[in-house]
Order: sequence, then C-alpha cells, then structure tokens
Amino acid sequence: MEWQERITRETPPSIRIEHELRYAMAAPLVRGADTWLDLGCGAGVAATAALGGDGPARAVLVDASADVLSEAARDVPAGEVVAVEADLASDAGVAAVRAALGDARDGVATCFEVIEHLESFVSVVELLVELAEQRAFTVVLSVPNDAFWPVESPWHATMWGAGSFEELRRLLPAEHVIAHQIPLQGSSVVPEGTPALEPPGFVVREDAVASHFIAAFGPRCAEVVARSAVAQADLAGQRQWERQREANLAFYEDRIQWAQGEFRAWRDYMNELERTLGRTPTTAPLDFP
Amino acid sequence: MVEHARQLVARHGFAVDLVLARERDEPDWGFRGLADIPVHGMDAARAVGYDVVVATWWETVGPALELPARRHAYFIQSLEDRFYRPHEAQRLAAALTHDLPLHVITEARWIAETLEALTPPRRCLLVRNGIAKDVFHSPAPPPVRGGDPLRILVEGNPDVWFKGVPEALEATRAMRAPRHVTTVTPHGRRLEGVDEALGPRSQRELAAAYADADVVLKLSRVEGMFGPPLEGFHMGATCVVTAVTGHEEYVVHGENGLVVDWDDVRGTSRALDLLARDQALLHRVRWGALATAKGWPSWEQQGTVMAAALGTIARRPALERRPFDARLLAELRGGVEGHALVAAERDLLRWRMAPMLAVDRMLERPPARWLSRPARRAWGAARRRVQR
Repeated sequence: MEWQERITRETPPSIRIEHELRYAMAAPLVRGADTWLDLGCGAGVAATAALGGDGPARAVLVDASADVLSEAARDVPAGEVVAVEADLASDAGVAAVRAALGDARDGVATCFEVIEHLESFVSVVELLVELAEQRAFTVVLSVPNDAFWPVESPWHATMWGAGSFEELRRLLPAEHVIAHQIPLQGSSVVPEGTPALEPPGFVVREDAVASHFIAAFGPRCAEVVARSAVAQADLAGQRQWERQREANLAFYEDRIQWAQGEFRAWRDYMNELERTLGRTPTTAPLDFP
Repeated sequence: MVEHARQLVARHGFAVDLVLARERDEPDWGFRGLADIPVHGMDAARAVGYDVVVATWWETVGPALELPARRHAYFIQSLEDRFYRPHEAQRLAAALTHDLPLHVITEARWIAETLEALTPPRRCLLVRNGIAKDVFHSPAPPPVRGGDPLRILVEGNPDVWFKGVPEALEATRAMRAPRHVTTVTPHGRRLEGVDEALGPRSQRELAAAYADADVVLKLSRVEGMFGPPLEGFHMGATCVVTAVTGHEEYVVHGENGLVVDWDDVRGTSRALDLLARDQALLHRVRWGALATAKGWPSWEQQGTVMAAALGTIARRPALERRPFDARLLAELRGGVEGHALVAAERDLLRWRMAPMLAVDRMLERPPARWLSRPARRAWGAARRRVQR
C-alpha cells in the first residue's frame, strides 16, 4: 500500500495527477507568498511538478519522515527551504512547526492528505486556524472521501467522509471556500502524426461523488477556483505493476502451499513417533483450508 | 456524553467533571467508563472554575448557567421540544433553551442546519456520535441467510409515543412471510407477536442481538442522530425505517436499507416481506449496510472532534445577546399563543361535555346507581374511549 500513500515518481499517473492538481490549485497563491508552509510534504513530487520551477521566497516543508523530507528539500523550488521533521499528531511536533515559521505573516499553508493520518488532529487544526485568523495566512487543506473507497487504508488513523468533513468545516473560520475533487475518466483518439486534442469541457453532475474534500480559508481563499487536469494513462507501467503483483501473489501462494505440506508431513511424523512411544498424539494433524 | 468524557480524559488531557443537575439523580454506574470520571453535585461544582460548562439536556441548561465558567455551551442531541406533544408545557420550555446565546455542539447535521435557520448569528459545531468499534465489531462479510424466517429486531421503549414500537410490531404481525421478531425494551415486556423479548442489554449484549438479526425495524417519529440502525449496520443487519430525522445521515434507500412511509403499516409489512422472500436483495442491502458501517467514525475519532470543538468554543468570543433575545421573545409569544389555543379548545370541550358529566353525576346517586348498572358499564366504556 505504500505506493498509494507516498507520492513518488513511480506512482501511477491517475494518483499523481490527483495530487498535482491540488498543488496546482494552490500554486498561484504559493508563488506570491513570502512564506509557504507545506504540512505533510512527502517527497515534494506533486508540489515540484505543480510549481514548475517558480516557487516562493521561503518554504517550510514538514513531514514525519526524514528520508522523504530531504528529497523534498532538494527538489522543491524556493529561495530558502526549511525542512522540519515532525509528528503533527503531537503538540511537540506542531510546536516545532511554529518555531520554524517564526514571525511569518501573510503566507500560504497547504495541508493535503495529512489529517487522516493523525491519531489526533486537534493541534494541527488549531495551528491552521490560528495562522489564518491571527497571521493572515491562506490555508488550503484536503481530506479523502474514505467512505467511497472500497479498501480500508491501513495508513489512515481516522475515517473521512461527507459527515466528518462537515464536522471539520464547522471548526474553520466562517469565511471559507469548499471544493470537491471529482475523479474523471476519459479516452482520446489520436491519428498517427497528429497531436492529441485538449479534452473537451464537461459539466459535473449533481450526484457526483467527491474523491476528496478541499477547504480553503484565510484572506486569499476566494482565489481558489475550479480547475481540472488530465494525464495520459501509463498502461505499460500499470501492466508491469499488475504482472509483478500477480507473479508475487502466485509465488507466495506456492510457497505457502509448500510450507503447509512440510508442516503437515512434520506433524504426521511427530504423531507417528508419539504413537510408536505409546503416547496419545498431542494434536491432530493440522488441516489447512 | 459519558463516552465523549472518557475520550477527552484518556486521550486529550482534559479534566472532565460530570455534574448532576438534580441532587437526587444517581449516575448509571453500569455505563462504560463512568467509574473513571468524577461525578459531582451542584454544590461541589459551584466551587470549581471551569473553562467550559456544557449542558447536555434542556433541563440542565439552567443549572449549567449557574456554574462559573469562561464559556457556557449546549450539546444539543435532538430538538428536545419535539419529545413533548403540543399541549405539554415542557415543549415550550425545551424550545426556549435553543434561543439562549450559547455556543452549540450538535450530533447531527439536521439539528445544526435547523438551529442555524432559526438563529442565524450562531455557527453550530458538529460532533456526531462515534461507534465503539471494539464492541460493535463487524463480521468480515455479512453471512448469507438461508431459508430461515426473517429475523427482525425492534428496539425502543413501547411506552414512548415517538419511538413507534407498537406500529413496528403491528407491521410485523401483518407480514405474510415467516419471521422471528425480537424486541429490546427497557423492561423486557413480552408484547403481542414477539418471539423473543429482551430487557435492558449491555452494549456487548446489544451487539450480539444485532448480529443475530437480519433487519432492524425502527418506525420512530423523532430521533436525534438515530443510532440503533447504525449499530445494527456494524453487526451486519440492514434496516427498515421511517424517514425520521437523522436517517438521512447514513440510510440510503435500496443501498443499505429500506425507507418506508409514515403510518404505512401495510407498506412496511410488504417491505419486510420483500426482504424475507428476496434473499439476494436482503444480502445486497446488508452488504451495503456493512460498507456504510466501515465508513462511520469510531469513538476515538469523535473524541478528537469533540476536543477540537471544545477548544474552538473556548477560543470563540461570547455570542451577542440581542438577536437571541429577539428570537426568544418571539418563541415565547408563539408558545403563549399556542397554549391559549389549547386552553380555549379545552374549555370548549369541557362545555360540550357538561351534559354528559351531569348524566354521569346523576347515575352515581344510589338508587339510580343500582337501576342503571348495565347502562353505566356501557357509559364507562364509552368514556374510556373518549379519554383515549
């Protein structure tokens, strides 16, 4: 599951574009800010792609993992980069972020796909509200719509859906903008020798289900506008990954069967020995399903 | 509320006191976690300076305001005026508490939206009830039921008018398909048409009862967050419910349950028959119910939301009184006019009944009493019917 939670260069395009779009939405705000705070920056892949080499004067990048943090600090474009390794579920972690920010004002804070990973999001939400209300930061955050995700993520400490997002929304300052990130599907016919066409516009249906909920608040929150992005599917990469998964599955199923056979034979031998010694077999031979 | 208190103490470093608004009240010591939280009477609580005092029921708002605190708040778990019929005085008293300039936490979106429509200057905070995932521990896939009778669970107090328990049992009696009906009521009384009558249950016992059911049948007329079907969902049961407030938070007709019309005993019994006969449909909605349950937050998560909500209340400024005063006076005036109408109708009824009462008094005299014994029996029956 790691590939789904950490955005790397190997992440499938459909997931990368989802992350890049969120950063692209915030990019105009970030570029114009003196200080940009990115909570849960990961390896900075999506932010780097969205900013396209044009970053803010100062970036404060925060993540719980030192490894990815160093990658982000290397790649994210900014005049000055401050990397903070911090557990945002703890007061100490949030205090480290406050210390790194210093007296910064009029900045931008992004917090994408972080809150659901925290056992307690009280401190981080308090920090974001404080930044918006007292230090004129514009904040953009997102949470996933777990309720529509068929697989329960082992990495999510809390479960998010429309109801949970509504609870979060009511904790935010009264002036805020809400956006729903809607997944798209598509296809393109490309005659040989011609470039692909831009995808046509579309109207979001009323019953559209969001994959992610986004909230923006702070002085420039109204600048968050509708935005879509399309990426070419990497069928070759997907096929490679699926074949790897199938091969791994088949391999480990074979190993499990082998181990079960070995264990059964060993158990039979032990029971035979016990019978030879006139003892009752301690356990019946295991019957694996 | 006790579960919230437990979470706040255990996971968020809060110091929480439960205060009994009436000195004679005794806490329900059987409630999980209550033993870990100090319980005080009002006198002891008056000596403490609290950061936030939260009223949790309309009758506790007055006592809560007596306690010294930096902020007072109101945890509104339902619009409690609806627990009373229009002629009951408590209805107005409960409604008036909603018009006080208190920060509000609610447990359902419909309550927050209604209160904001009534008193626009206030932004309500929302903290839904979590589910004890260790107690209501879901089965991996819901087991497919064979050709057994449909197992129906009806939960609620049959003596409380808005719980709709008699109506639910009437619907089960009107079914054509075989069924097994279990009730969970405060007294465990066996009601007509019930196969198994369960009394008060611990949370674990309740979870076991839900796990044994195919369908939770709730025809309530008033609910806050509407917890029982959701608990049933966690244990692999679907639901048949009225479109009561709170159901919209998680019940989707045909996806994880069936929503039936008000006062529609026949329609409800047909919906139950459908689930009894169409095993594929039953399995489909049970599957959906379990998926809904997986998406519902735990008490641990909701404890975090409550901690954030209380922190927000402590930070937000006190509400301005004036818009609330205006709203309260309007509510009071409406209530007084409503009661005047009730009193006038009662006077009119008394005037119309005067001849009947005169006959009644005459029949109570000894000679007439003996002569009119058969007539009195019939008269008594008629009077009982009128009183009903």
